[in-house]
Amino acid sequence: MEKQVMEYASGNEMAAIAIQQIGYDLMGYYPITPSTQIAENLDVMRANGETDLIMVAAEGEHSAAGICYGASVAGGRVINATSANGLLYALEQFPVQSGTRYPMVMNVACRTVSGPLSIKGDHSDIMYLLNTGWPILFAATAQQVYDFNIIALKLSEAVRLPVAVAYDGFFTSHQKLRCYRFENEKVVRDFIGEKKEEYPFLDLEHPISVGSYMNEPDIINNRYQLHMAMEETRELLPKLFADYTKLSGRSYGKVEGVGCQDAESVLFLLGSSYDTSIEVIEKMRKEGRKVGAATLHVLRPFPAKEISTFLASAKKILVADRQDSYGAGGGNLSLEVRAAMQKCGSGVAIKSLVYGLGGKDFFPEDVELMLEWLEDETKPDFAYYGVTPGDVNQEKDTPLVAPVTRDMTQIGATKVEIEKQESESKDGTLHSNMETLKVTGATPNAVTAMPARIAPGHGACPGCGIPVNLNLLLRGIEDPVVFLFQTGCAMIVTTAYPKTSFRVPYIHNLFQNGAATLSGVAEICYRKQEKGEIPKGDIIFVMVSGDGGLDIGMGSALGTALRGHRLLIFEYDNGGYMNTGYQLSYSTPMGAKSSTSHVGKEQYGKTFFHKDMPKIMAATGISYVATVAESNPTDFMKKAAKAAYYAKTCGTAYIKAISACPLNWNDQPATERKVIEAAVNSCYFPLYEVENGITHLSYDPEKMGKKIPVIDWLSMMGRTKHLQKEQYASIVAKMQQEVDSRFAELKKRVISE
Amino acid sequence: MQAGYREILDSGKEYYEIRLDSIGGLGANLCGKMLGELGLKYLDVNSSSFSSYGSEKTGTPVKGFIRYCKKEKEIRLHAPITEPDLLVSFHEEFLVDANGNKYNVEAQKIAMETHSRINVVMLGAILKVMGVDSILPGEEICKETLGKKYPASLENNLQGMRRGYEEVKLIDRKTEKVECDKNNQSQDPKWGYLTAPLGGINPNYGNSISTNLSHSRQGYVPLFIKEKCINCGLCFSACPDMVFQFVKGEYKGRSMMINTGLDYDHCKGCLRCVDVCPVNALVRGVEAEQENLNYNMPNQELLRKPIYYETAGADGYITSESFLTEKRMEGGEV
Repeated sequence: MEKQVMEYASGNEMAAIAIQQIGYDLMGYYPITPSTQIAENLDVMRANGETDLIMVAAEGEHSAAGICYGASVAGGRVINATSANGLLYALEQFPVQSGTRYPMVMNVACRTVSGPLSIKGDHSDIMYLLNTGWPILFAATAQQVYDFNIIALKLSEAVRLPVAVAYDGFFTSHQKLRCYRFENEKVVRDFIGEKKEEYPFLDLEHPISVGSYMNEPDIINNRYQLHMAMEETRELLPKLFADYTKLSGRSYGKVEGVGCQDAESVLFLLGSSYDTSIEVIEKMRKEGRKVGAATLHVLRPFPAKEISTFLASAKKILVADRQDSYGAGGGNLSLEVRAAMQKCGSGVAIKSLVYGLGGKDFFPEDVELMLEWLEDETKPDFAYYGVTPGDVNQEKDTPLVAPVTRDMTQIGATKVEIEKQESESKDGTLHSNMETLKVTGATPNAVTAMPARIAPGHGACPGCGIPVNLNLLLRGIEDPVVFLFQTGCAMIVTTAYPKTSFRVPYIHNLFQNGAATLSGVAEICYRKQEKGEIPKGDIIFVMVSGDGGLDIGMGSALGTALRGHRLLIFEYDNGGYMNTGYQLSYSTPMGAKSSTSHVGKEQYGKTFFHKDMPKIMAATGISYVATVAESNPTDFMKKAAKAAYYAKTCGTAYIKAISACPLNWNDQPATERKVIEAAVNSCYFPLYEVENGITHLSYDPEKMGKKIPVIDWLSMMGRTKHLQKEQYASIVAKMQQEVDSRFAELKKRVISE
Repeated sequence: MQAGYREILDSGKEYYEIRLDSIGGLGANLCGKMLGELGLKYLDVNSSSFSSYGSEKTGTPVKGFIRYCKKEKEIRLHAPITEPDLLVSFHEEFLVDANGNKYNVEAQKIAMETHSRINVVMLGAILKVMGVDSILPGEEICKETLGKKYPASLENNLQGMRRGYEEVKLIDRKTEKVECDKNNQSQDPKWGYLTAPLGGINPNYGNSISTNLSHSRQGYVPLFIKEKCINCGLCFSACPDMVFQFVKGEYKGRSMMINTGLDYDHCKGCLRCVDVCPVNALVRGVEAEQENLNYNMPNQELLRKPIYYETAGADGYITSESFLTEKRMEGGEV
């Protein structure tokens, strides 16, 4: 046995340790709870020079899977980590990876698939992977997460299939406990061995084509090869487990159980619930009860034979699923265990319970209750465990506030008028008969008369900029509003069930797809109005997204803008994925630390410049693009009014606000407006608008004598104040140069008046 | 003194369980992590720890769960602790009426005096009440967790912890006010499958207004001095929580919107309004010094007074660690 050291660590931490010790070449990933900590922990190690892993933070899971695929084709050792909707978003890439036979490993910290949105753990995501041709190992403990990561890569390269290591989100991924790792990473590397490539892609002397177009005689043979690889996996795994036992002293089987040798009633569970059941079952057996519990460590290839051998003495089996294959009479685990037992000719009675969805906790008492269910002849073969019927006699809630209707918001505090004017540009070209909008009013005092379309009681952090920005936006728009929020802080804090802050129609969709969804909403509204099915009258459709949502959802937003649907896209840019613990976004300032861009001797924070989203949106040629900041409230509200006008009359409009995040900017909630003001004055976030293609600077810090160096703004936030140090002078200089050149370029676009 | 962790484990009980009830921002998550780790490393027990999970927020309830058992045993329970041997309330909001000895430590005061964090003071107090006979394990774990990267704040934190250890005291439970607010995850949901609108639709527009957010405040409240107010509306424009109640009226002979005061049920105490007020009509006050918030103006858009205000928010807040840990070490509020 090799020497091992103790760690007090979670499943995610153990995965990161294994990945570091294995010495992968590349991780392509997109942060998604609860798997994100793997990338975060590796980023810490990277910053400290403990790993040279190339880490690529993609703009979405689909791209992350693509990066991994490319890197594995090129001969790299490749790792990914994901959960839930991330797994589903990348799903189409997984058969490509397995079908073209490129090895890699992916950790899946299992979480429930939305929607309604939830981030908690169940197995609804991993079961989507069953038909992709990936062997799937399932770890019930943090220790197993470590061990299976090491076994997975060896298996993957041996059978040339990508392998998933799955485990329970939060229960296994986040709970810290006693674990062991090999002291010397050489042990791990020797176990896995050298990577061999039969056809090296980058061998220019012997070029190969990967990914042929295949017709009917061939595809079936390719698939049969994949089937053969799965069968090879089936044979190889016991040997790998045994080899690993020699190193670690820990032995694993495809099926594991407690008391199954003579148990009459057996509970079959996956993941951390099995771990919990061991404790209860052992106690019950001491009391003389013939009960047992069993689990799988391998979901694919499904160990049907081992299961039937293992459960030979059982008279009754209860399979508890943490997901449902709706309409099939059980979750996937149930269906396959039933099939396995039937195949071996066993007449054992099998019941199924769907339990623990959305992270509903599994207590020791549940083991006893489930066994009671199994042994009770009157209980049905299939049921949901732990559901609440609700009280049908419960009185309906009477509203606490009124819905916010048209008459309530049209208070005349902000007026939009159309002006025709002739203007001349520098070179003398005449822009004749330009229609421009003149907005008046929008004083902070007058707009207080408008009722709040988003009610108080939301759960945003103290001092959060998002509600401030939403309030300013909404107070500039006097027409009725229909909302779509993409996933993000704003959505989480306003709609925590059974509460909602919205007093106007609201819909959430995942952040790859908000703009497209709202396009559909708007089109049906206009159609219904035309047909007279709903009252006529202007309605402003507003999509609200964080800057993160406009990384992964940029394609959808650009598609909507290019098609020109009449709606407003509002982006609150707090420069990071704040809802999930501040991973870098493409809008995070260069040099900023985040949980995926740590500062250490080998890394100074984020390595690339912030994304210029308004410029990208302006390039789609939409009628109205503007940037706003709460430090200039009247300008903000006037632009909201203009954007609403364009959204209802012309097509897509886009507004971006810089939005404070005291939690992750690591500054004082009270003084956020000053920080925002500094961002504007440093020209990091210039205030301007592009109206019908004409750029207008709303506020020129240079002219006002207020311009400050970017470092003065960066120094105000904990996430960037390290940049003040001498050693980062060159980073700051680069950042200053970028800000200056973007501002100069912006000014060049402005037609002087 | 109550039985300590060692006596309880020796008595044959399988686990010694600690539950921390706190508000995001007070550092209970890190405190729980340190308690777990020091158990394994210095108290000759096996241990595990985790927090309640949700999206990342300050000001909302968060719970920490720590289990100790004899070191030969593996910890296989992953569910929250509902009947702890030691219940720790970081906030008076979470005081419950339970049997057993009760202890008190002036953590906020000690933290202020020693320039340390509340969570290390609490850690010191917890170690004492758990029956750890020396503060050394606490010191070791502090050095490991906080000291490596940020040695500057270490001595203050150690001092805060020592004072927590020394100053925690047994209180007379009969005279002490205790309130029941368990905020229990296991309580029945509002709607069940027979009553919930299909698809998770929520037809109760604006009902978040019945959520009371007072306990998001961390000691300070904005106080409104109406005589100084010029009704500029900047406080309104800077407030994330729609706290300011403006009504139609007259100011200096001009018809305009008039600031009548704050709705403290929804004020989270961020003090943004104090910072933006150009005439100091809003000032920072220590909440404990305010007898009752006389200026409280219930939200004027309420059609009826809520029967009760629920004290809630998203139920937890920890999903990632690394950045927040760094932030904590720098003394940031997490």
